[in-house]
Amino acid sequence: MSSSSYSNSPCAACKFLRRKCLPDCIFAPYFPPEEPQKFANVHKIFGASNVSKLLNEVLPHQREDAVNSLAYEAEARMKDPVYGCVGAISVLQRQVIKLQRELDATNADLIRYACNELPSTSTSHQYGSRRTGGQGGEGSSVDQNSGYYFPSHWNNDGHE
Amino acid sequence: MTLKGGTSQACAACKYQRRRCSSECPLKPYFPPDQPKMFQNAHKLFGVCNILKILKNLDADQKTEAMRSIIHQANIRDQYPVHGCMGVIKKLRDQIWFAEEELHAVLLQLDMYRQHYQQQISSSLPDDVVPSQLELGMAPPNNALSLFNHSPQQQPYNAAALQPIAQQHSYSNNSYSSTYIDSKDNISNSMWIQYPYATNNNNNSMAIQSQLVSGIQQEVVHDYDELHPFFDTIDDRQSYIDSKEAYESRYTLFYIFNIPESTFMIMLVVHNSVESDINSVIFICSSEESLKDTTQSMEHVAENELKSAAACFSLTSVN
Repeated sequence: MSSSSYSNSPCAACKFLRRKCLPDCIFAPYFPPEEPQKFANVHKIFGASNVSKLLNEVLPHQREDAVNSLAYEAEARMKDPVYGCVGAISVLQRQVIKLQRELDATNADLIRYACNELPSTSTSHQYGSRRTGGQGGEGSSVDQNSGYYFPSHWNNDGHE
Repeated sequence: MTLKGGTSQACAACKYQRRRCSSECPLKPYFPPDQPKMFQNAHKLFGVCNILKILKNLDADQKTEAMRSIIHQANIRDQYPVHGCMGVIKKLRDQIWFAEEELHAVLLQLDMYRQHYQQQISSSLPDDVVPSQLELGMAPPNNALSLFNHSPQQQPYNAAALQPIAQQHSYSNNSYSSTYIDSKDNISNSMWIQYPYATNNNNNSMAIQSQLVSGIQQEVVHDYDELHPFFDTIDDRQSYIDSKEAYESRYTLFYIFNIPESTFMIMLVVHNSVESDINSVIFICSSEESLKDTTQSMEHVAENELKSAAACFSLTSVN
C-alpha cells in the first residue's frame, strides 16, 4: 500500500481527474502518482465513481485487495474487450475438468490393478500429460448451475 | 434472452433508469425485465455508459459474448466484492495445483502397481508373509507407496521423506519389497483398499523420530465447491497428538483410497517400539460432502492407547 504525498503531488486518480487531492481522498492510498496507468485503466472500464462506491462498501483493510483486483480486471478487459478476465476463468475451468477426467480414468485403472485384474493400458498415454492441461478440445457441456462460464464457440474448437 | 412481445415492457436497464425502452435499445437483448438484479450488478460495476463503450467497437457476435462475460464478471463482483474474478482465478489455480498433485500421486501408485504386476509375472511371490497386525480387511500388493515400505535394505528415513504428503510423488525410491501380505481373498468385502505396510515391530527400519512427524502433519482440505471464497479453500488445521515417547515411536503410513469417490485416506500407524504394540489412527477424508466435514474415525487395533501423531492429508477432487 503506497500512499501518495498529499502535499506535493496528487494521487494518480486526482491527477487524471484534474482535481485537488484532499487528505481524505479515497483513491490516494491505492493509486500512487507513479502508476498513472493503473487508474486510467480502472477509470476507463469501471469509472471512478463506481470504483469509489465499491471501495466505500468494503472495509478499509480490504480496499487494497479490492483495488488490485479491479485493476487486474480492468487491464484484462482492455486487452480483451470481449472476454476480459472471464476468459481466463473459462480456461482454468476447462483445465480443472480435464484434470478431473484424467484423474477419474487413472483412478479407475488403479482400482483394476488393486483388484488384481488384468492391466489396462487406457491411461498409459497420460503419463506425459502432466501439467499440460487446459489445452481445450473437450467440447463438453458443463453444468451451468455450477457457475461455470463457457464461451459458446469454445465448446467446439479447442480454444485455449 | 429477448423480451417477450417487445412492445410494451421495458428492459431492465431502461426500467432501472426510468426511461422509455425503444426497439433500438442496445441493452434490450441482454437485460430482460424479469432479471433486474443482473442489470444492477452490471450497472454497479461497469455502468451503462461503460458497457455501451465496450460494445461500441464489437460486431454482433462479439457483443453477445462480451455481454455474457460482462454480466458474469459483474455477478462475481457482486458475490465477492473484494476479490472479484481475481479470487475465482486464484481458487481455480489452487484447484488445478491440487488436482495435478493428486493425479501425479495416483499415477505413481499406478506405476507401482504395474511394476508389481510385472514382478508377479516374472517371479513367484515369496511366502515370508508378515502377519497382519491391523486386521482392517484386505491387503493387496503392498509396494504401492514405496516410501513407507519396510524395505529389505533397511533404508533409514530421512527428513526429505517427511515432507508434506502433498509432495508424496517425490517419495518414490523404487525399492520394492515382496515380503508383504497378499490377501486376494479379502478383496471382496469393500471398496476400501488397504496397503498395510505393517512391518515387524522388532525391526527398526521404520524408525522416525517424532519431531520429524511435524513435516507430515499438515492437513489440507480443499473445497472444490464452485465459487466459494478462495481464502476458505485451504484449511491447514493440524491434527497432531503430542507424543510422550517421542523418540521411541515408529510410524508407518498407509495410503488408502476410495476410487469411486475420489477420496484418499492416509493412515498413520504408530508403532511403539518399546512395548511392541501398534496404535493406529485412521483419518478418513471424504469428498462426498463438504470436505470441511472430514470424517474422522479412530481404530485401535492394539490394546494400548494412542500415543503418537497422526497425519492426514486429503487429496480429493470435484464430486
